[in-house]
Amino acid sequence: MKMMLKTPMTDSFRCSDKVSSVLTAVLLILMPLRVQAQQTVWGLPQYNETVRVTSVAAGSAFARDTYLSASRYSGWALGFENDSWIGLRPYRTFRYCRNTSALFFSPMTNRLDGGSTLEAGGYDFMSFLWPAVECSMCDLLIGPAVMMELDVLYNQQNSNNPVNAAGYLGGGLCVDNTFRFNVFRYRMALQATLNVPLAGIGFAPDYDQPYWYMYKYGEYGKALHFITPFNNTAITQQVALILPCRASRIRIGYTFDYIGNGLGGHTRGIGSGMFTIGCAFRFQEKEWEL
Amino acid sequence: MNRSIINRIQVVAALAIMLLPVSCSWNEEGRDREYSNTPQGNFMALWTIMDERYCFFDLKEEKLGVNWDEVKVRYSASISDDISDKSLFEVLCRMIGELRDGHVNLTSSYDYGRNWSWKTDYPSNFSKDIRDSYLGNDYIIGGDGYYYRILEDNIGYLVVESFESATSSSRMNVMFNNMALCNGLIIDIRDNGGGDLTAAEFLASHFTENKVTVGYSCYKTGPGHNDFSRRYKNELSPAKEDLRWIKPVVLLVNRGCFSSANDFAYTMKALDNVTLMGDTTGGGGGLPMSSELPNGWVVRFSSAPTFDADGNHVEFGVAPDIRVDMSDDDIRSGVDTYIERARDFINDKLVNP
Repeated sequence: MKMMLKTPMTDSFRCSDKVSSVLTAVLLILMPLRVQAQQTVWGLPQYNETVRVTSVAAGSAFARDTYLSASRYSGWALGFENDSWIGLRPYRTFRYCRNTSALFFSPMTNRLDGGSTLEAGGYDFMSFLWPAVECSMCDLLIGPAVMMELDVLYNQQNSNNPVNAAGYLGGGLCVDNTFRFNVFRYRMALQATLNVPLAGIGFAPDYDQPYWYMYKYGEYGKALHFITPFNNTAITQQVALILPCRASRIRIGYTFDYIGNGLGGHTRGIGSGMFTIGCAFRFQEKEWEL
Repeated sequence: MNRSIINRIQVVAALAIMLLPVSCSWNEEGRDREYSNTPQGNFMALWTIMDERYCFFDLKEEKLGVNWDEVKVRYSASISDDISDKSLFEVLCRMIGELRDGHVNLTSSYDYGRNWSWKTDYPSNFSKDIRDSYLGNDYIIGGDGYYYRILEDNIGYLVVESFESATSSSRMNVMFNNMALCNGLIIDIRDNGGGDLTAAEFLASHFTENKVTVGYSCYKTGPGHNDFSRRYKNELSPAKEDLRWIKPVVLLVNRGCFSSANDFAYTMKALDNVTLMGDTTGGGGGLPMSSELPNGWVVRFSSAPTFDADGNHVEFGVAPDIRVDMSDDDIRSGVDTYIERARDFINDKLVNP
């Protein structure tokens, strides 16, 4: 770690000492893990390696859930994102195991009377990726994913039904596209990822089913629905630019996350768009077998 | 594969991935109808929210002759583009007031729209001053809104002003220990406007030794007026860890008993050792939910109906076992007719069990 902090700054990447120190401190508080200085590895890990990107996120969010309110709410959002890539054996079908998780929080208001809604949510996607296209410049990876997401809304206008949740657990598809390119003599990467659930179980109250009744009568089954992209549109998309910063890498990106469905007879659309900034670390892991 | 083809595939894939969220956010706005923030938009939003989510339309049509489609036609004539917000609020309040439901309200900065005819159209049968004279100054506070004492003829008298909060097991045990030698208990919930259902259920669970089916509930499963789930049994289980009261109980009720106090009344009515005395309760047999209009006004409405043990709606109240009215002579002389009749009833039970 000391070595990383003392590495002289290059002329090409002008990251001030203050910003760099604050960012490093924040990231180390969030993710106190064993870190070692690394060789140049761009975008994707080698066999038996883990590249972990820990980011803080800030942006905006919106929510409309007719179970709670006919109004659309919007506001700012803060979050925390963790993206881990593990390199698997090169000759196996799946070359990478990727785990993307995030937690976010957003206080929102509606457009008119200052009514407010609080949102807290998170997701975790674990995908196994196969290289559909490989070349020195780019990799197009595709593979199955296990996906889980839950958003909880608390509408402060409602005294009797203030809370609703939307979420799913299922299987889906992950597509990742990584470009590698040079700006002057410095290597960079642009990474675009799309996660889409294709089938699974979604949670939403059975129309006006009160949460109190779910608890009192144990009637949770009515709140569980089989989901497909046709009745539950969910998408999580990341676009990120990976830049060199001293001995480590900085990833600057944008993450868009959205769940929209009509499960249970009510319309809901909950989404967020957040800019992320984080540091990429590389680890040597114990041997991974799939 | 040719390098240029690979590059093209990459570009197309990357563009698709980057542009998809944009199209997704466009779709979100158009997923279903969203009413405009105009007088007509707010009117239609309120009418539709009620039409799709209010649970008592058939009952109100049968008992009150309310036809919701006719209501729409009648009140939409009062809505114009230049109507003021205050006038719009008044029109909307009058429209939902047709349902005569205390759980139907419209909240704005102007006022809290309500129809309390379930209470105000009937004699109150209650004087707080007279009731307090029975409590005296040395009553015991058994929780927030729970007051009790032992009357001169060795009958316990418990006042529950509200179910906004529940009392605790330890306080119930202390109360029953204090009144262990009493011949009976009068529970006075007159003018109790309700509160938390669990608070009412918790109190009721101290008056039964066995699990009892006290009523049924269901909820709306769709926008149609008759889209309901199956009826779920409301079972009252005894408070097993606490002391329980098995001596005679008289529950005093009036038109001011609403919502969870109404639930408490129909729950207690299903118990063998409990006698309801007074006037029919105010009702409020629908579990409420809330929503919002495009202009931010909050509408509350009954969403999930409840039924008594015989399967009857309790929206219009629970009838007492023994009808009692406060007499004017008693009121003038500071006597509470309800409490005196309850004392007589319990004392008679001692003589003629």
